Amino acid sequence: MSHKILIVDDEPNIVVPIQFLMEQNGYSTMTAASGEEAIEIIPKFFPDLILLDIMLPGMDGFEVCEIIRLNPDWRAIKIIFLTAKGREADKARGLVLGADAYISKPFSNARVVNKVRELLSPPENQI
Amino acid sequence: MTPKNRFWIFAGLSILATNLILLGAVVMFLRDLTSEESAVLIQIISNHAGYLFVGVILIIAAQGLVLDAIFHNYIIPLSKIADETVLINSVNPSHRIKVEGGGDIKQLVQAINDGADRYEDLFRNVRQKINRARAEADNEKNIMAVFMSELPQGVLICNAEGRILLYNRRAGDFLSGSGDWSETEPGGREKLVGLGRSIFDVVDRNLIRHALNEIDEKLKQNETDIVSLFVIAGHDKTIRVETVPILDQARRFKGFLLILFDITNELESENRVGFILQELIRDIRSSIAGVRSAVEAILEYPEMEERRRKCFNEIIHKETLSLSETVNRVAGEYYDHFKTQWPLTPMPDYGLLQMIARRIREKLEIAVDIDSAEETRWVKVDSYSMTMAVLFLLNELKKETGAAHFSCTILPAGRFVNFDFSWRGDPVKTDALRKWKSKMIMIRNEGLPLSIRDVAGHHSAEIWCFVSRESGLPCVRLSLPVSESETTGIRRNITILPQSKMEFYDFDLFDQPGRISELDDSLLTDLTYTVFDTETTGLDPKTDEIIAIGAVRIVNGNLLRNEIFDHLVDPRRDVPIDSIRIHGVKPDMLEGKPTIDKVLPLFHQFAEGTVMVAHNAAFDMRMLEEKEAETGIRFINPVLDTLLLAAVVHSVHERHDIETLAERLGINVTARHTALGDAISTGETLLKLIPLLAAKGIGTLKEARAASRKTLYAKLKY
Repeated sequence: MSHKILIVDDEPNIVVPIQFLMEQNGYSTMTAASGEEAIEIIPKFFPDLILLDIMLPGMDGFEVCEIIRLNPDWRAIKIIFLTAKGREADKARGLVLGADAYISKPFSNARVVNKVRELLSPPENQI
Repeated sequence: MTPKNRFWIFAGLSILATNLILLGAVVMFLRDLTSEESAVLIQIISNHAGYLFVGVILIIAAQGLVLDAIFHNYIIPLSKIADETVLINSVNPSHRIKVEGGGDIKQLVQAINDGADRYEDLFRNVRQKINRARAEADNEKNIMAVFMSELPQGVLICNAEGRILLYNRRAGDFLSGSGDWSETEPGGREKLVGLGRSIFDVVDRNLIRHALNEIDEKLKQNETDIVSLFVIAGHDKTIRVETVPILDQARRFKGFLLILFDITNELESENRVGFILQELIRDIRSSIAGVRSAVEAILEYPEMEERRRKCFNEIIHKETLSLSETVNRVAGEYYDHFKTQWPLTPMPDYGLLQMIARRIREKLEIAVDIDSAEETRWVKVDSYSMTMAVLFLLNELKKETGAAHFSCTILPAGRFVNFDFSWRGDPVKTDALRKWKSKMIMIRNEGLPLSIRDVAGHHSAEIWCFVSRESGLPCVRLSLPVSESETTGIRRNITILPQSKMEFYDFDLFDQPGRISELDDSLLTDLTYTVFDTETTGLDPKTDEIIAIGAVRIVNGNLLRNEIFDHLVDPRRDVPIDSIRIHGVKPDMLEGKPTIDKVLPLFHQFAEGTVMVAHNAAFDMRMLEEKEAETGIRFINPVLDTLLLAAVVHSVHERHDIETLAERLGINVTARHTALGDAISTGETLLKLIPLLAAKGIGTLKEARAASRKTLYAKLKY
């Protein structure tokens, strides 16, 4: 069974290539354009990993991350922040909130794919 | 007991004693007579009782007349002489005694006056020498004063208790907006900077305490860099404060120096640049992310379907467009920001043209005539670089076309002012102008590391060539934007050297303990006074209103002419003609002035913590009290009255009005019957009265008030 990935970003110009990338790598995907939408989708879609932007309209990425981590059923969900906020402080905050990785924009596609693959595979199968 | 009473008691007692002796002699004489002799004597007396009675009355009357003559010719004059001699010896050496009296008295007066002449000569001599020496010291002081007042920083020196000993105007501006009370707008509580006032009124006590603790630590550690920094919000400004301790030789803490820097612009600038930069980074990150991701996908999956590739291409195109837009926007913002940092000074257009014309004549030796618009507009320029740019251009023009004469005209054109330089001769070619515009400015050996284009850019100005339609003459036009503000924001105070008094410092305050609490036992010489006067529409406190309040502060025996309060007040009623004759304030001068409920709180604050002084204070205080219900302002300050104090000092003199008093004490009355003028005269009177009171054993505020209460005039209550 393929892993499921939720992409949360309000910029379609980012969402489209990333979604393509993930599908090419054999993952099934869904997208959400806001934090609220993401929270709604999670219980239905139950993703294994979320690619999460920080600057979203309304609820921001940090808040979404916090909500996910507070729910014990969602503990297994991996979270990667993908964001234009590149300051050290933001990165630190993201990791403290329980994110598994923090990738600042612009990024190379290979890096995202590798990170996703690393987080979703058992350690012994790591590439 | 007054001298008058003393004399009459003495006279009465002596007459009584004389008459008792006479009576005794008569009784003895009667006892010595035989019965026949006394019968004869009684017979004689009863036959001539009328004569005897008249005789006795005449004797008593004669005694009375003699005594009265002695009283008026000797006793009263002597008292006056005694008082006035004290005057000569203390506060007014040019006072001369003018007393009518007996011949001896006149001789005595003459002798004292002669002595006073000699004393005054000597006094004047010494004074002159002192003044000469002081003038030199003052000169140096004034240089320091000018230096201090022109410093871009605010400077404040305080003693260990936080009382202000010295401040410059800038410090006043930073902390209270205006150091000048006559300019203060009524309404709202102003923070006050003034000599002898507490620094804690204007700067949070905790901040200073923290700074001093920090300094104390550093002193203990023997650190060399003993300064503590904090930032406060001043009057519409952000101020960085540096605190430096002042120590005596034994390294004991005597006070502290505060240096105030206005960092408002710096902060704004830093914040602005920071903000622009952050926004730029965020936008670029976001756009590049889309582009990169799309490009990498295309490269990695060359066999992707056409529809998808097209979609990715569109993403790339859109994001690069948005990137270009971002770069343009940020560049514009940054340029605007940079421009506001460039020091351009406002000046009138005609002034700029005159300056340029003069330099053309001097430097290029070309004849110029000027024609100007009637209305003056202001432009913001760096006059040196702008003049050089125009000069350089005209010089190149002269070389190219041989023009030997320029006509300059100023033409307003909407938000721009055009400076046109036209000449008779060939027009200049556009490509030549373009070449000159980008060359470094250089005229003979004087040059700038800038081109005309740079200078024009800094000024948001345009320079181009054309041939005028009206005159047919070729013309170079400099087009400068009109500046909205005419002020530079920097105020300079012209200080005239030897005469100017530097009253904003008083180092004698260094060693004074906090004194507001124990005012009553304070010496009169140590107190801080607010000497004030009111002008009113009339003399009835019930119906008349205040139209002016003037006040001046006395700190440490110095009348501070810089720290004044001077406000006209709208009385909200008519001003009677009779009163105008006295105070000279016409009703139209009061139009638009604040009402008493606005002015009184300001005055209350001005007088806070001081002793209030007025001439005939009972009246002025009564006028203020009348307003208590309306304004809720109560003056609980101790009050002294120069009228009463004068009566204490000179009990034999009858007149104590301001003019007579001032003349007696040798004070020049300058602006009589303006509130401020009278307040200043009253203040000077108080300063002269204090040593005279001390000579009478009245040293403290408590004693002065007790003595005032006893004088006759105190019965005059409003």
